[in-house]
Amino acid sequence: MRRVLLNLSGLVTLVIAVFPVYWMVLTAFKPTKDILSETPAFWPAHPTFEHFHTAVTTAGFWQFWRNSLTVTVSAVLLALVVAMLAAFAVARLTWRGRRAFTLLVFIAQMAPWEALLVSIFIISRDTGMLDKLSMLSLIYFMSTLPFTIVTLRGFLAAIPADLEEAALMDGCSRVSAFRRVVFPLLAPGLMATSLFGFITAWNEFAFANALIIKNQADRTLPVWLSSFGNVYGTDWGATMAASTLFMLPVLLVFLILQRRVATGMVAGAVKG
Amino acid sequence: MRRVAAAAALLAPVLATVLSACSGSTKDAAAPAASSAGPVKLTVWFMKDSFTDDVIDRFKAGFAKDHSGLALDIQIQEWDGIGQKVTSALASNDAPDVIEVGNTQVAEYAASGGVTDLTGKTTELQGADWLPGLAEPGKIDGKQYGIPWYAANRVVIYNKDLFAKAGITTPPATRDEWVADTTKLNKGVQRIYLPGQNWYTLAGFIWDEGGDLATSDGTAWKGGLDTPQAAAGIGFYKELQALGKGPKDSDEANPPQADVFAKGDVAQLISAPGGAGAILKANPALEGKIGFFPIPGKTADKPGAVFTGGSDLIIPAASTHQAEAYEVVKALAGEAFQTDMAKAMSYVPNRVAYASALAGNEGAEAMAKGAANGHTTPNTPNWGAVEAKNVIKDYMTKVLTGGDPQAEGTKASQVIAEILNTKS
Amino acid sequence: MPIRRRRLEPGRMSGFWPYLLIAPTVLGAAYLLVYPVVRTVVISLQHFRIGELIRGGARFVGLENYQEILGDAEFWGVVRRTIAWTVINVVLIMVLSTAVALMIAKLGKRMRLAVMSALVLTWATPIIAATTIFQWLFQSQLGVVNWLLTTVGLDGFRGYTWFANGNATFTILVILVVWQSVPFAALTLYAGLTTVPGELYEAARIDGATARQQFTSITFPVLRTLFGLITSLEVIWVFKCFAQIWAISRGGPDGATTTLPVYAFQVAQSLHKYDLGAAVSTLTVLILIAILYVHLRQVER
Repeated sequence: MRRVLLNLSGLVTLVIAVFPVYWMVLTAFKPTKDILSETPAFWPAHPTFEHFHTAVTTAGFWQFWRNSLTVTVSAVLLALVVAMLAAFAVARLTWRGRRAFTLLVFIAQMAPWEALLVSIFIISRDTGMLDKLSMLSLIYFMSTLPFTIVTLRGFLAAIPADLEEAALMDGCSRVSAFRRVVFPLLAPGLMATSLFGFITAWNEFAFANALIIKNQADRTLPVWLSSFGNVYGTDWGATMAASTLFMLPVLLVFLILQRRVATGMVAGAVKG
Repeated sequence: MRRVAAAAALLAPVLATVLSACSGSTKDAAAPAASSAGPVKLTVWFMKDSFTDDVIDRFKAGFAKDHSGLALDIQIQEWDGIGQKVTSALASNDAPDVIEVGNTQVAEYAASGGVTDLTGKTTELQGADWLPGLAEPGKIDGKQYGIPWYAANRVVIYNKDLFAKAGITTPPATRDEWVADTTKLNKGVQRIYLPGQNWYTLAGFIWDEGGDLATSDGTAWKGGLDTPQAAAGIGFYKELQALGKGPKDSDEANPPQADVFAKGDVAQLISAPGGAGAILKANPALEGKIGFFPIPGKTADKPGAVFTGGSDLIIPAASTHQAEAYEVVKALAGEAFQTDMAKAMSYVPNRVAYASALAGNEGAEAMAKGAANGHTTPNTPNWGAVEAKNVIKDYMTKVLTGGDPQAEGTKASQVIAEILNTKS
Repeated sequence: MPIRRRRLEPGRMSGFWPYLLIAPTVLGAAYLLVYPVVRTVVISLQHFRIGELIRGGARFVGLENYQEILGDAEFWGVVRRTIAWTVINVVLIMVLSTAVALMIAKLGKRMRLAVMSALVLTWATPIIAATTIFQWLFQSQLGVVNWLLTTVGLDGFRGYTWFANGNATFTILVILVVWQSVPFAALTLYAGLTTVPGELYEAARIDGATARQQFTSITFPVLRTLFGLITSLEVIWVFKCFAQIWAISRGGPDGATTTLPVYAFQVAQSLHKYDLGAAVSTLTVLILIAILYVHLRQVER
């Protein structure tokens, strides 16, 4: 009996978690007539690729795709490298100002980015960084950096310093000790952390909309995704197809990295 | 269709590769790229779905012929977040050269100081008989910033088959006939699809009663939704809305009303005549079955009041090609483009003199009849903020879902007054 | 059990190295975080509207903007709503994810994999996609939720307009945010559960402890830090939550879902009162810092 109840609650969780996503994909495959029908169909009776076709053949789709990927990946990589250096300093070295720095990094997580839009617009304008994808990358890098440092610090703390010391004893330099001993152990953590940055950057709309003005070719996917709303209304089928396509890369990254994330968070929290 | 337009927009600089510096009007000293090496690239912003791709392509071809030194990059802008985007553009150092702006928003931008004053060009553009609904919002303190471009107002689009089946032979001419005919339509069909937040339509009903959305005594604004006229207006809206199954909490864009109508079982909807194009695109089988009539007024001699919607053109002060940008404005406001787009899009051209272009167009004729009783939103730079805050839409949904018109109207009026009386 | 890690070089400072290592972080933050924040604070002390944004030349007005905001009843309403929003969401997220984590731990292997995969799917759904889906689910005429409720006999939901009612919209947003947040918290907690030594439970079971006692006397104390970390992250995320609310309701209807970040954005971007928006943002951060003060001290320790 308990077994049944348990499995039942598992099933309920599963359905709640999956249904909205299933509904999105399903809608994307339904012909418009079925989408606007008053009795919903829970199974694609007449599956169609029409909406995917609409989505993919929008002018510049692949370009926006590439832009998003470029911005996201560069932001994530930059954040990882910079955060790794800082996390190492915080987790492994003793220096004046370390506590204050840690505290500031934690506070930085609270930065309300939407509220900084106007200031950042003015700053970009005055430093000649408007209409540039690289500025978007930098902003996404900065908005994910604090979280990345905090998490990486946790991962680093979970790796016994003894290992590094042993390598130092063996005559390794500090740098090569890090590269040979710490880095391999840290790699899963790095990948896991990159996930958060990936999602943040992949999703961002407000900055992408305000800072890319004349260079239409530099628009990113979220801006493109909003383009299915128009004066004659939201094309639900195309929007759902577009959302499905938009979600794919994130899903892919997740499938690869997910398990390590949770473990990493725990390692960081329990031992940090 | 949409795809082609955008593709064309992206390709524009490639297509227009004519190397010539004979444009003649490069007196603009600020232009950094004014070298004689290549065509000056002009960025022009049109709003999404303002024009079909054919119209844009024809314009580009014509413009390229007359202006060999200028390359047009026409970019189609999305409505989502457009206010923020235009503001960003005006505030940037290298703005687009020409921007299409809705006539309810142009005042706000004109007042910001980021738009070029074109008062000196009004004579050349024959501004004497511009449509007031477009010219006035573009004018602040006697200076003309926005150049009238095109206008449209709403009509009733109906399904001729469904009307015939219910035995209705001539479209209604008064409100009473309209309600009677609508009620007569067969039960199996949706008699009228009117979403709850079609506030331009509501504005018309309020104007019909002699009310307004807001009034100014010269020093302060007062919201108009707490008046008996507004209560009567929304009362009629509610009555009409209840005859169909339009969602009370969304506007004509969600779901797209053209798509709803295209299913074939909706008898009427309220839209600009251009909306018929979207219906036919979704369901070509309705070709020839779509009719138009002006929104009926209270009496047969006067059509219902309608909101004159439309767009103005502005040149951002931050555009680095002022003189060239004006060439584009001149072409877009000129006879060739105006008559072409009037025919193709069923829009009202910017000058009364061009109106004959609409003869013989069923939708446009219905629209023109309605246009005789056209109105605009309160002329203040702050009006854009009222729209952005969805004040009227929220008020409508409240009343339609059972709220007290007086109480909700008083609340909404207070918010409107507060926004309109803000100093900028 | 906060065991201090042994430093590599106990007691000795590491020279200039640490400063070199944090230099990129500091430089990046200076340009893209500190400077914008300072700029925002400056704007909050100026008269800064659309004209000033375009033409420049804003003048200082002292604390006028703060006076206007703090004297506005709407602001305090928004503050109260934001706190309610945060509390409701965080409590729901923590309770549900704890329950889900405990459940996963007890499930059979195949079911566990299925549930965890489902959670990952939810987690991976981008915010923009998720908000679009939810709008579609709760659409009044064609939405599947109304259809479902009507089908099970709740006829009042035929054509029910969710987004017309403040509380209904608020509820949908809570459901959305909780739906999106539970996977991260639950999976992390589950990973934490697996690190608790099994012997502890065995001993407790021999002592006759109930499931609840096991949770309160073993699971929770062991995972205390983890709970603390997740809770504070959720507080930050929920409090700052903007994209979901903006996409679904723009803070409406009638301000019923306007939380502080939405309010700040509305004031600044829709009404073009950048000065007041900046003041609201500054106040928002101060409130958030106050809320997390206790926790920050723990991290510091």
